This record gives sequence, C-alpha cells and structure tokens, in this order.
Amino acid sequence: MKKDPFNSLLVIVAAGVTAGIGGIFFWVPTDDFQGIVQRIFYVHVPSAWVAYLAFALVLVGSIAFLRTSNPRWDWLAHSSAEVGVVFTAVTLVTGMLWGRPVWGAYWVWDPRLTLTFVLFLIYLGYLAFRWMATDAGHGARVAAVIGITGFATVPLVHFSVDWWRGQHPGRTVFKPESSPDLPPQMLVTMLFMLAMFTLLFALFLALRVRLARLDAAVSEMEAA
Amino acid sequence: MKKAFAIAVKDLRSEARGKEIAPAMVLFALALVFIATFAVPPGSGRAPVPPPVAGAVAVREVAAVLLWLAVLFAAITGFGRSASAEQDGSRMDALALAPVDPMSLFAGKAAANLGFLAVLQVFLVPVWILFFGLPSRALFPEMFAVLVAADVGLAAAGTLFGAASQYARSRHLIMPLLAFPALLPLVLSAARLTSTLALGGSFVSEVRWFVLLIVFDVVFVTLGAVLFQFVIEE
Repeated sequence: MKKDPFNSLLVIVAAGVTAGIGGIFFWVPTDDFQGIVQRIFYVHVPSAWVAYLAFALVLVGSIAFLRTSNPRWDWLAHSSAEVGVVFTAVTLVTGMLWGRPVWGAYWVWDPRLTLTFVLFLIYLGYLAFRWMATDAGHGARVAAVIGITGFATVPLVHFSVDWWRGQHPGRTVFKPESSPDLPPQMLVTMLFMLAMFTLLFALFLALRVRLARLDAAVSEMEAA
Repeated sequence: MKKAFAIAVKDLRSEARGKEIAPAMVLFALALVFIATFAVPPGSGRAPVPPPVAGAVAVREVAAVLLWLAVLFAAITGFGRSASAEQDGSRMDALALAPVDPMSLFAGKAAANLGFLAVLQVFLVPVWILFFGLPSRALFPEMFAVLVAADVGLAAAGTLFGAASQYARSRHLIMPLLAFPALLPLVLSAARLTSTLALGGSFVSEVRWFVLLIVFDVVFVTLGAVLFQFVIEE
C-alpha cells in the first residue's frame, strides 16, 4: 500500500491545533474587559476566515466548471461549499457562546452577524439544491449557476444589512483584533490558529474532494 | 384509528427515507422567520422619534416591510409556478430547440414575470394604502420609481432561480430557499424607501437605497443573461 499524502498533513494539523489549543488555555493572558470568554476568539475568527475562503473557492470552482466542464472543478465547488457551511456554523455557534456573557444575549441583529447568517442560508440553499437535484450531470451545472449568484449577492447583502442596522450597539463593542496594544501572545496565537485552520480546511477539502471523485467513479461503474 | 395510524406511519417512513419535505420545510421556515426579523423592531437604523409620534412611525415602517414581504411571497410562488408549467409539459425542451438564443429566452421570461408583478401591484398597493391608512400623496409619484426598480430585479432574479429550481425535487420548496437570501437586499431597499416616503421623508436623503436597488437590477439582469444558458441546456 502506497503512502498516503493526507496522513502527513493530518499529523501536522493535529499537532498544530493541539499546540494552538494549549496556547489558548495556558499561554495567552486573560482579556481585561471580557475575561476568559475572549479566548473563544481564537477559534471564532479563524473559522470565519476559513468560511469566507471556502465560499470564494465555490465561486472559483463554479466558474471554472461552467467554462471547462471538467468535473474536478465541480467537486471542488461542492466540497468547498460543504466544508464552508460547517465552518460558518462553527463561527455562528462560537459567536453566540461569546455573545451571551458579553452582550447578554445569544443573538443580536448586528450587521456582521446578519451577514454571516445570510451566508449560511445561501450556501445551505446551494447544498439543498445539490442534494435534491434530479439529474446529477445537469444538476452540477445548475448548482454552479447558484454558486456564482450566491457569491455575487454577498456585497449587496453586506451593504443592505449594514445600512439597515447601522446604529446597532454591536458595532461599537470592543474588538480585540483591531486593538493597538494587543499583547504579543494574543497576536501570535491568533495568527497561528489562522494558519492551522487554513491547513485544517485544506485537509477537509482534500478529503472531501477525494470522496467526490470516488463517488463519481462508483456512479460511473454502476452506469456501466 | 389503527388504519389512520398505519397511514401516518407510512407517510413518515417514506419521508424518513426520501427526506424530501422536512428539511426543505425547516429551511423555508427559517428563511421566513429571518426575513420577518427585519420588520421588528421598527425604527432600527433611524434617528429616535419622540413618543407621541413613535406609534405612527412604527405602523408605517412595519407596513412598508409587510408590503414587500407580500410582494416577495406572491412573486416567488407565481414565478415558481410559471417556471414549472414550462417544465411539466416539456415545453422547455421545445423552447430550447426553437431558434431562440438563451439571452432572448431569459429576457422574454423575465419580461413576462415583470408583467405578473405589475398586475399584482395594481391590486395590492391600493389595498395596502387603504388598510394601513397611508398618505398616498406622500407616496406618489416617487413610489412608482421604487416599484419599477424593485420589480426589475425581482423578475430577473425570480426567473433565474425559478428555472434553476426546476431541476430539483421539492422544487416549490427549493425556489424560496434559493431566492429569499439573495433577494434580501432588494426587499430591504424597497422597504426602506417605501417607509421613508410613507413617513413624508425626502427621497433624496435615502437615495443610496435606490442606488442599491439599481445595482441589484444590473447584477441580476447581467447574471441572468449570462448564466441562463447553463440552466436550460441539457
């Protein structure tokens, strides 16, 4: 049996995330204002970043698939949407857990929260369509159209919810990532977790694309 | 009783295997509740209003959001129906074979949907003004611009999503699922402009919302014109 390249990536990501969690719990100083709950940011922010990255890849994969008809691009778009929705869910849940003690509510209709929730709905819709597509071949092309329109609406949604809820107090809440006197431990841990989550995303995506490839191969054999 | 129970078990089992209805139902309701949150609390994002006036302001703001939610629902139901009529009789295949380029096909279908919206609003808007006791003199003529700008985007996006949803099972549930989040900017812009007019505010002060509506129109007319061919080809 040949050596699987995923295994080395898996080892790196597992070691890295473990080290990162160690950093979050034992190395980073506790935030003066928010207390211990601020530590959830080291998971929350990287998840949000990965979600955006994933949805950008859905766009790239969708456009490339419509242009080339190469199924690899479709696997990329579909897989990336799935992983992206998972990370969006992580972003929403960690945000809510942070919001309860700091804002006093699990959910407030802050522009950024609203945008994230709309993203969640858009790509959930994309996945629901893929799941329910009547014809796998043509369904992939229609899904690509949905993937492209979904991303195109993001800036429009952003402006509309930002203006609609423009005076929400949520926006003035202390933001650690923009604070000028951020302790170096915080910055290092955040950057490290961003890197590790990006690798984690790459790992999930690669595994999911491989699954899509095997799936396609099985369908081909069944058809033959 | 026993028979009814057996039927219920059969239906639930069939759904548990196919999973065609429940997930789409949940997502549909979730999207709906989400859009409804924009109607409350009224006054979000505006300057505070003194208490005696606040009640009237709240009614007019909620009225504006409700008008556009009603239009959104009627539009999505109608567009889905018009798209599936095409699908059911395999008329789409005939149209695809006809010497019509996809861009004209899209333009024609979007124009027809625009017509549906115009008919809908001819009935809906006067009733809405009447029931909510709104000042029609303050609303018009600017309201015409809002209606036209919103309808163009609604028709373009509805035509594209309507055609796309035909290629899925439970298409009547998939259609709103795709369209609701994408149409949110349109609904919010139209509702904000409408409530500004209903409150006697100046159109110019809220002109960025009108710009957003126009940008939405341009984006969806362009996307539809370019992407419609990939949806209908088989």
